[in-house]
Amino acid sequence: MLKALLLRSKGKSRLWAALVALCVGTTLLLLSVMIWWNFRELLFGKSQNDTLGSTFLVIGKRVTEQNMGNPTATVFNQQDIDSLKQVPQVEEVGVLISNHFRVYAALSGKLGFATDLFLESVPDKFIDKKPASWGWQPGSTDLPIIISSQFLDLYNYGFAPSQGLPQLSEKSIQNIALDLKVGGDANEHYTAHIVGFSDRISSVLVPETFIKYGNEKYGKGTVEAAPSRLIIKAKDPSDTKFGAYIERHDYTTNSQNLRWSKIRAIVEVVTSATGVLALLLMGIGTLVFILFIELTIARAQNSLTLLQQIGYGPHYLSKFMVQRFMPLVLGTVIFSMAITIIAQVVAAEAVKSQGLVLPLIPGWPVWAALVISTSILAVLVTRSISGAIRKD
Amino acid sequence: MQLSLQGVIPVPLREKVEAYQSGMWKTTRSFNKGEYLFIQAPSGTGKTTLIHTLYGLRKDYEGNVMWGGQGLKNIDNELLAKLRTKNISVIFQDMRLFPELTAWENIEIKRRLTNTVSIEQATMWLERLGLKDKMNSLGSTMSYGEQQRVAIVRALLQPFEWLLMDEPFSHLDIANTQKAIDLIAEVVAQHNAGMILADLDENNYFPYTQKIIL
Repeated sequence: MLKALLLRSKGKSRLWAALVALCVGTTLLLLSVMIWWNFRELLFGKSQNDTLGSTFLVIGKRVTEQNMGNPTATVFNQQDIDSLKQVPQVEEVGVLISNHFRVYAALSGKLGFATDLFLESVPDKFIDKKPASWGWQPGSTDLPIIISSQFLDLYNYGFAPSQGLPQLSEKSIQNIALDLKVGGDANEHYTAHIVGFSDRISSVLVPETFIKYGNEKYGKGTVEAAPSRLIIKAKDPSDTKFGAYIERHDYTTNSQNLRWSKIRAIVEVVTSATGVLALLLMGIGTLVFILFIELTIARAQNSLTLLQQIGYGPHYLSKFMVQRFMPLVLGTVIFSMAITIIAQVVAAEAVKSQGLVLPLIPGWPVWAALVISTSILAVLVTRSISGAIRKD
Repeated sequence: MQLSLQGVIPVPLREKVEAYQSGMWKTTRSFNKGEYLFIQAPSGTGKTTLIHTLYGLRKDYEGNVMWGGQGLKNIDNELLAKLRTKNISVIFQDMRLFPELTAWENIEIKRRLTNTVSIEQATMWLERLGLKDKMNSLGSTMSYGEQQRVAIVRALLQPFEWLLMDEPFSHLDIANTQKAIDLIAEVVAQHNAGMILADLDENNYFPYTQKIIL
């Protein structure tokens, strides 16, 4: 009976319009948080999404006509490294150490070839796709190698077609064993396997312990052992001060990374703008819904007055209205969350084909936004109902 | 619960009230539970204003109205609702039924609030007042007499210490008036309650303990 008096069915279309407005606002808010979080996951997350150019940069000193004859001029000394560590955007600096001993690689069979090879090592924490079998101990004849994924591309799309050789998948190349001869007389033999591919570092990487072992045993001195390249973890390489520092010191880097970082900064601004817009729309949606509630109460004003005259308390009536409207609010919010979860699954599937990883369930900020927006909505709806009834 | 009036003057009637000696306005007096008061008031002297003031519907007056020590002027709405469901009931002169509800729904909406009278009892009271065939009639389609009888039954569906009545039988014929009087007297006695009946002309519907000229 209270329902018949207070919630007349005349406003069905208005109710739907209000619910749609609320749903659109909530969904956009959750989606913008989801997009923002996914973007962060792709850039800074723990998953293997390094191809997004992110925050790791490999730098070297530019080889010019003036310094090309002076090997000490193109390596980094401790002062250079310390100076780099002081740059605000730089979080960590790692050195790439190259081998200073001879390495001769041979491959028998159909793909048979033999070549001198260079190797480099980098601290393990800078490796983007570190396999479980990564590591080397003196005495072991098995040597894991990580090569740049660009090398594989060069082989598959350049070298192999031109030479009539078969193309190789990542998996198949990992089954190939290289015979490595190391040392001045090439008297140490190792069986090397490619165990991974790096998007981050253009090099042939072996474990740091191996390079140190080789350089110590066969190397020629300390000057040569200085790093020629550094790997930097930068907070935001698109920062202009960072760019200026790199330019001032005439360092070379993967400019694609810097360019991508600029794009990333733009995307972040766009995401933030979407967030602000979503907040605005959520606000408008909430306002429309609250206005609908107040209109409903205003339409039932005569009944409300009479109900209070025969003894119904404002608290009882508010509770009745809240119990009628809150399931609608919760239903709408749950529906919006369902859309967001579906969008997350679709996004995760879409980026999978690009070799990127996103979780299937929206991240915690989306759930936090859901809880916070629902709580605010619940408080606003409750206060609006109590306020309108008490005013009556 | 004692009713006390302390110099109550309704603002809209101030000039009229100050021109004569009223038995209720401007006076300070108290009435104890169980008293049967008849307030006789010619048309326009504030009879309905008095009932509405006592019931807490109007606050445009000077002085104080106290129910058991609780003033009505600044009373919290929740407390007023409690007072209206436990201590004071009213029969409005203009009935105040929900026009979109049937007679039975008008009864139920009050009965369910306090839940102190059974459905059978409420049905029986409606039947006693000759409304058996009108249970499903909408409030808006019933005659004034029928509405008044529904309003009388509605007022009796709760516990009360005082029953306020504003011309409660104005739309009833003699036979129906007598039935209503009998029912009201019976229920008021059951609750050991008092009553205040305001009407135009003198009557002896109930054994009044006091008759007051407004």
